[in-house]
Order: sequence, then C-alpha cells, then structure tokens
Amino acid sequence: MSESQDRKGPDASSSMIPIPGDQVADSPRLLFNPPIDIYETSDGLVLYADLPGVDSDGLDLQVHDNRLTLFGQVKADVSESSHLLHQEYHVGDFLRSFILSDEVDHDRIQAKLTNGVLRVELPRAARAKPRRIDVSDS
Amino acid sequence: MPIFRWGQAWDPYRDLEREVDRLLQGVNLSLHGVRFSRRFPQVNLLEQDDCFVLTAEIPGIDVSQLEVTMSSGFLTIKGTRLPPPEARDDTFRRQERFHGPWQRKIQLPDRINEDGMRADYKVGVLRVTLPKAQSTAVRQIKVNEGP
Repeated sequence: MSESQDRKGPDASSSMIPIPGDQVADSPRLLFNPPIDIYETSDGLVLYADLPGVDSDGLDLQVHDNRLTLFGQVKADVSESSHLLHQEYHVGDFLRSFILSDEVDHDRIQAKLTNGVLRVELPRAARAKPRRIDVSDS
Repeated sequence: MPIFRWGQAWDPYRDLEREVDRLLQGVNLSLHGVRFSRRFPQVNLLEQDDCFVLTAEIPGIDVSQLEVTMSSGFLTIKGTRLPPPEARDDTFRRQERFHGPWQRKIQLPDRINEDGMRADYKVGVLRVTLPKAQSTAVRQIKVNEGP
C-alpha cells in the first residue's frame, strides 16, 4: 500500500484554501491531510486516521479501482456571536487517498469510526492455493 | 546564497565549499508541516458574550482518561493517548499520529464562575465551556497620608 501521488503537499501537513470572511456554509472550505498510522498484522494491514470532528454521517470511504479515498466532513458548531481569542487549529475537512496493493482483499475491507478516529482493516487476500492438475492418459 | 561557509574560505576549499552547499540544498531543510513538532492537542479559545469556550482536537481518547482541571486562572487538560492496539514498533509502515501522555495549560483572560463550568467530549473534540464571573463592583481604596 502506498500513498497516491495526488497529494498537495510534500508531507502530512495541509493544503489550505483560504476562507473569505467567516465560515459560511457554501464558502470554500479548508482541506487537511489527516495524520495516519499503518501497521501490519497477521491478517493484513490496519490503518488509523485522526479525523476530529467527523461523525459517521460525514465520513465517505471509497475504494475505486485500486485507490482507497477517505473524505471526512466536519460540521463547524461555532455560534456567530463568538470571536476567537487564540487559535491553533483551523476547522476544515479531511481528505487523503492511498493506492492499495493487489494483496488487499477489497471485498473484506472494514471500517469503524470511534471518537474521531477511523480504523480501517485491510485484510490480505487468501493466496491461491496450489492445485494439482490431473493429467489423463489419452 | 551559500548555506555553508568556512570562517575564511581559502582557495583550496572553494570547491569543497561549493560541493557541501550543493549537498545541503539537495536536502529539504524545511520543517514546515512536520506534525510531530506540533503541540498536542491543538486548542482554540473563543469568547462569547457570557462565557469562554475552549475547544481541543483530541481524537481517540477514552473519556475516563481525560482530565480537565481549573486552578487559579489556569485551565489544564491532560491525558494519555494510547498507540493502536496490537501494533508493535516493528510493524508500523507509517506512524504519524501522536501517542503518549500529553498536557496543555491555558491561562484564561478573565475570571470564571467555576461552578458553571462544563466539559463535553464528542467525535474527538473536547469542548470546555467556562462562564464568566459576574464582574464585581469597583471598590475605592482609601489612600492614607503618612504622618
């Protein structure tokens, strides 16, 4: 499994599309590259992604051809009367995609979202078993 | 512009200097966007008419592991984020997410009504609501003249 090449930045930071003025529903939104963990287990690969603010309604996980794409939409719950005193993070959506290797069994991919963390199980496809071919006498 | 410089570049070292520069420039020295160096968790502080609201992005925490305390004008949040279960260091193919103990201490800009504080944790975002204290009446302090 490898990162697909359509990422905007050279690293796991973000690609910023500035918001003009305050957050209006149909304004361009910020898009972030969520941090991920990938590790191997005996069954295949497991992927974790941090998607704070994304619930299961806002999450879109797709496998198309060999590409796994995750898109998480964040609902901003900022009331209009508030103003920012200190800001370290920006609210925006999450997007990242990966190229799956052929050894991943696409039909058995499972995903779970808990407390803003997505866990995707990417099981290894069962290797085709060696099969004896009977040779008959003519 | 050369990054690497000898104190005094003698002629014999010119070529070496140029070579080292070329090597250094070939390496991406920029640290922008390195997630590891960022503080965890990231917090925002908002002010509303009657309260302050602190929000923090802390995905993947068990509420029982989350500690929010308030003491003498400082709000402290701390906890521990566990690495994924069944993952061992040698099985990671990519490791970008923070894990380990963390703590943030934030000074609040005004007095807080500590009885009305509340904290909610939802879809990986902690939200602490801190109602402002009723401002006390201005008190004159009499200045006594010395003898």
